[in-house]
Amino acid sequence: MAQLYDRHSGVVYSVALRVLGDTGAAEDILQDVFMQLWRNPEVFDANRGSLPGWLAVIARNRAIDGLRKRRPEQELSDLVVSVEPDLVGRAEWSRVLDKIRRVLGTMPATQRSALEMSFFEGLTHSEIAAKTGEPLGTIKTRIRAGLSALRKACNV
Amino acid sequence: MSVHEQFADDLALFALGTLEGESRVAVEAHLGGCPECRQELERLRGDAALLAFSASGPRPPSRSRERLMKQIAREPRRVEVRPAPRRVWWSALQWAAAGAMVVVVVLLVRQNSELQRSLAIRQASSAMQEQQLREAKQLLTTLTAPDATRFVLVAGTEPPQPQGRLIYASTSGTLVFLASNMPKLPPHEAYELWLIPTTGAPIPAGVFQPNRQGSAAVVKPPLRAGIEAKTFAITVEPEAGSAAPTSQPVMVGTPG
Repeated sequence: MAQLYDRHSGVVYSVALRVLGDTGAAEDILQDVFMQLWRNPEVFDANRGSLPGWLAVIARNRAIDGLRKRRPEQELSDLVVSVEPDLVGRAEWSRVLDKIRRVLGTMPATQRSALEMSFFEGLTHSEIAAKTGEPLGTIKTRIRAGLSALRKACNV
Repeated sequence: MSVHEQFADDLALFALGTLEGESRVAVEAHLGGCPECRQELERLRGDAALLAFSASGPRPPSRSRERLMKQIAREPRRVEVRPAPRRVWWSALQWAAAGAMVVVVVLLVRQNSELQRSLAIRQASSAMQEQQLREAKQLLTTLTAPDATRFVLVAGTEPPQPQGRLIYASTSGTLVFLASNMPKLPPHEAYELWLIPTTGAPIPAGVFQPNRQGSAAVVKPPLRAGIEAKTFAITVEPEAGSAAPTSQPVMVGTPG
């Protein structure tokens, strides 16, 4: 567990901090996510995706739950995250991160914004539409297209 | 992508956990019966994980690590999986596998039992055959023993006459011949038994010398299987035997 923590705590903490903007709360999420893995390692299915990808999404969901002060919408064991294992299994983090940043950097600002508001702030498309004054359908399409662009960039 | 287009946008929002209301209910209902969209949902979550990786920030403070390690030391790991709706199929699969194993074990036990029974039958049969073989060898030893004495019981007071008893099985070419009261022969001569077939020349069926009591036996001489015998005859031949009779028969068989 110490090894896993040393390897992946950075991602978990960064995501939680990005969502919550509070180091103390992010530390709680960090503790919570790794303790869940310690208590129930079976909830992560290595055949279905990579551990860092799974941890990152769990951390994000926990953080969003904390942000909204509501119960988790999904059980940990219910969550399957398909990230190519090789993508994060190899020591190619910097290359992968470069790709992700490049895609986000070249993405239209409105699209990136919609994507980040949805992911890091947990806003619904209605909330984003209300915030930006743009049509609901447009927000939906941007979010989907944004995720699709990330996939395409990292699968090539 | 084989995802259903009408759900494509909502599926992305669902993956991010930001879809609410009727749309969420509709997507959940659709996911229940659409494996392609479930697979796409996994991929979308993977895409979201890529987005999570972009959140670079400071490393967590070292106290977080210490805190985690202390809590881990306090809590032994529980190997318990909480039941979850999506795992029902897996649980069912495990039960099915367990059931299948029980069936296999039962079949194996039954098969093992049948094999043991079969083995016991074979062992019993083998023991019986060994017993029969022992008895047959004993019989042969008795018949061919140098000191084997044959007694012929006849009615009246006439002196015993030379006599031969022969059993022949043409299918296997097996022959057993027992003689008694055979006159002693001059040196370098012997009796020779002949198989007289229904057609063709007599066939040598063994050379024998009577013992002091006039008894003799010929057991399983080298005969070809399948020869139909009309009768058997005995001639006096050189002690090494002849390929064809060289004298008149001293005894000729009659069926009986």
